[in-house]
Amino acid sequence: MTLSVALGPDTQESTQTGTAVSTDALTAPDIPWNLVIWNDPVNLMSYVSYVFQSYFGYSETKANKLMMEVHRKGRSIVAHGSKEQVEQHAVAMHGYGLWATVEKATGGNSGGGKNSGPGKGKGKRG
Amino acid sequence: MAKAFKYGLKGITGFLEPAERELLRSLFEDVISMLQPEDRGKQDPLTAMIGLDMDAREPSDRALRRLLPNVMKNDGAASLEFRQLTERSLRESKIGALRAAALDLDKDELLLTDTDARHWSMALNDIRLVLAERLDIQDEADADHVHQMQDWSQAEDVESYLALVYNFTTWLQESLVQAMLQSMEPRP
Repeated sequence: MTLSVALGPDTQESTQTGTAVSTDALTAPDIPWNLVIWNDPVNLMSYVSYVFQSYFGYSETKANKLMMEVHRKGRSIVAHGSKEQVEQHAVAMHGYGLWATVEKATGGNSGGGKNSGPGKGKGKRG
Repeated sequence: MAKAFKYGLKGITGFLEPAERELLRSLFEDVISMLQPEDRGKQDPLTAMIGLDMDAREPSDRALRRLLPNVMKNDGAASLEFRQLTERSLRESKIGALRAAALDLDKDELLLTDTDARHWSMALNDIRLVLAERLDIQDEADADHVHQMQDWSQAEDVESYLALVYNFTTWLQESLVQAMLQSMEPRP
């Protein structure tokens, strides 16, 4: 990501207030899937944070934390859910121009591990 | 000179010079024509109507591949299947945002609703993604290098001209997104 001019977002970390709490529980046979956002040198840090806030309804603090994780670690898991849910999010992210992929939550995922409990993310359309 | 987008009582406002509007219009139109699905003639009208495209393939053009990426990192077959179900509507929604932004260019004073602003931010992002591929911006160092290019009197070849255009659209998008973030804060 790129930080343009001096108007950067403030980047508080470790103070995740996380107002976004999932209300939709996964049903038993669902294998949780992750929505992964990848770093790229073009998308503005402010824009990525804006997308996380407006599409997922995340707080500014949570959106900035995820955005910084994408920037520093190269990727971040920003939502969880059924395959269909995360695929729908991925298409929406592609609509915004973010580089998003989906992956099964179990096995071989790296980065963003502390967010990877099923049902913790949510996908409210903003 | 263009003015930075601002959030105020009327909403999000901006100002562009005629030459800047023409530049943006042609950039929006270039990306629209890249995204326009090929007319394959023999397309089944029913599948087209519900947004399916069984002939969709991963684009060979790098810029187009960045606009329409694979949905899975290491599963080409599953990504292709997903692409056939979703790519047509993704292309259409991107074209919709680009067209909406282009329509706003008819006046030099821009007054954007929330929806207009979202379309503008998406449209500016898509033209920046395409310009970045043409400039071969692969990592942050490349981006910094392009960012150095700020003086229009230095524009003597296509690459330096593209770099200046990229920096202009970056600046414009940053000011727009800052205004949009402000507009999302609760009013006192």
